[in-house]
Amino acid sequence: MKNFAKKLTAAALAILLSGAFGACSSGGSASSAIPAGKSGGAQSKAYKSIGVIEYAVNPSLDNCYTGFMKGLKESGYEKGKNLTIDFQNSQADANNAQTIAKTMVAKNYDLVMGIATPAAMALYGAANPTKIPTVFTAVGDPVGAGIVKSLAKPGVNCTGSADILPLESQLKLIRAFLPHAKKIGVLHTTSEPNSTASLKTFQRLAPKYGFEVIDVGVTGSSDVEPGMKTLISKKVDCINNFTDNNVVNHLPGLLQAANEAKIPIFGSEVEQVKNGCLATVGIDYVVLGEQTGKMAAKILNGTVKAADLSVYTVQDGKPVYNKKVMQQLGISLPKAYSSAEKIAG
Amino acid sequence: MNVFFEILVSVLQEGFVYGIMALGIYVTYQVLNFPDLTVEGTFPLGSCVAGVMIASGLNPWFACLAAFLCGAAAGGVTGLLHVKLRITDLLSGILVMTALWSVNLAITSGSAVKAFYNQPTIYTSGPAALIPDSQNTLRALTVAFLFCLAIKILLDLYLKTKSGLLLRAAGDNPRYVVSLGKDPGNMKILGLMLGNGLAALSGCILSQREESADIYCGTGMIVLGLAAVIVGINLFSGIKFLRSTTAVVLGAVLYRGVLMIALQLGLPTNYMKLLMAVLLTIVLVANKTMPTGRRKRHVARTQV
Repeated sequence: MKNFAKKLTAAALAILLSGAFGACSSGGSASSAIPAGKSGGAQSKAYKSIGVIEYAVNPSLDNCYTGFMKGLKESGYEKGKNLTIDFQNSQADANNAQTIAKTMVAKNYDLVMGIATPAAMALYGAANPTKIPTVFTAVGDPVGAGIVKSLAKPGVNCTGSADILPLESQLKLIRAFLPHAKKIGVLHTTSEPNSTASLKTFQRLAPKYGFEVIDVGVTGSSDVEPGMKTLISKKVDCINNFTDNNVVNHLPGLLQAANEAKIPIFGSEVEQVKNGCLATVGIDYVVLGEQTGKMAAKILNGTVKAADLSVYTVQDGKPVYNKKVMQQLGISLPKAYSSAEKIAG
Repeated sequence: MNVFFEILVSVLQEGFVYGIMALGIYVTYQVLNFPDLTVEGTFPLGSCVAGVMIASGLNPWFACLAAFLCGAAAGGVTGLLHVKLRITDLLSGILVMTALWSVNLAITSGSAVKAFYNQPTIYTSGPAALIPDSQNTLRALTVAFLFCLAIKILLDLYLKTKSGLLLRAAGDNPRYVVSLGKDPGNMKILGLMLGNGLAALSGCILSQREESADIYCGTGMIVLGLAAVIVGINLFSGIKFLRSTTAVVLGAVLYRGVLMIALQLGLPTNYMKLLMAVLLTIVLVANKTMPTGRRKRHVARTQV
């Protein structure tokens, strides 16, 4: 009897396999019919579905998502009214992101959106063979990641907003806050392309402002704290963050170590300053997300193709500083930044 | 309903790709009785080799061959560590796996992810080009299925040769190998090369599907491979006409399939690994509690 059950399983699998082959060929033509409301909705705000993958649980990335929803709402797409969102978090695991991306593409959403480079890459890779457009946000180097051909004209069915850091402005800020500092410490994850790209630019620009960059590369999550200790032991005057997913995830631990050594940390975006970094010429991720939301709405409307929509890059950020942290470190606000936005500790 | 078939096709396609890796683990774990952790390093090795070669425009089929050879080389190192330096099997695998992390990074010149979108891959060039672009999912499934089938048949043919027999003996009965005047250690090295070559090939094919190579893709592969082997061998051992190699591939498909279906039914992604562990436990326990009349105890595990 049990033997029969096993033979039945084998037979069922065989039928399933042939059924899949049969379904594909008929499914190829039918898939364009779903979901409902997709047909030629150039002017009307027809019902749309979007799949979103957030790479990691991280306040900066959460800000991106908030901005994205805001941008969509401003352009007429509101969750619950004419929009369903499938929001997934890949828990900083690239394999997870791949699995989720494939599932989303199989569900044939109208648009997919990736927050941070690994999520964007997974979605683009999965959606590329299909007609589903991809949008991204918080990707440091979209050209380097291969998901667009150029920032001005993506050339592929993928576009979005990039968080290329205004490093020169950041260096000016650091010099203004710490007129006598010589060494800037940097922690970067060697396997994050946006981080290594930022480091190269930073190393190139730092001497102009009289800084020496001390860099410690980390390979994974467990190396961040020891890396921090190494930087402190090298007697750096301050530390600067990039948009490094791995390092930023460990920000509380880094801040604790730095505060004990009385070394300020300069963040790379507004949320980090809120959490205890001294200052930044920050990227506002909400604004970044909003831009992607508006681009997504345009693509959903059908008014423009993703391939023609140029990637939005952050223009000069606005300086923000944390007053409480500044007072704790005994630093006074430089005159040039007296109009900078103050954030309560 | 359409969505269901799309997902089914995606599951089958991935299952066949992982099936190749499962065949590799079948050779090392089941045939050679060697728990080989090198696979966690060899799988991304194949992926990175393919990524670098295809990104620089080389023929994807050639990249597959190169991936296989690189994986075989890594497996050879594990074998040498175990046989010649007498390091235990588990540790030799761990040592090579750890070293491969740096090797993989060196191959990709330091970047964790190497994308090669819109380049010709085995899914778009050569025989696959016969199927038009519009039938993209069908094409992917066909390529994966045929590739897996070809590898499986080649492996079956190999295991029937004298060398294959010696391989099976090296894991089961080393004295038999010695009595034939051959060195079981050499057979172990050969088996490890074969197993890891297959794992690297599997990584290469997967990266071509995703059009990006990733040094992290190896994490959890040993669990997936072992699960596929165990599920395959245990569930399908009673069916006489099903060879072990086929059973292992089906095990990979089934295992992956259940995971994907669970995700579809709404399981939060965070619990996927828990589900993997639970499934594996169920299969292991179910096999032990089945009436022994069904399980052929007298048949050795290495029976092809």
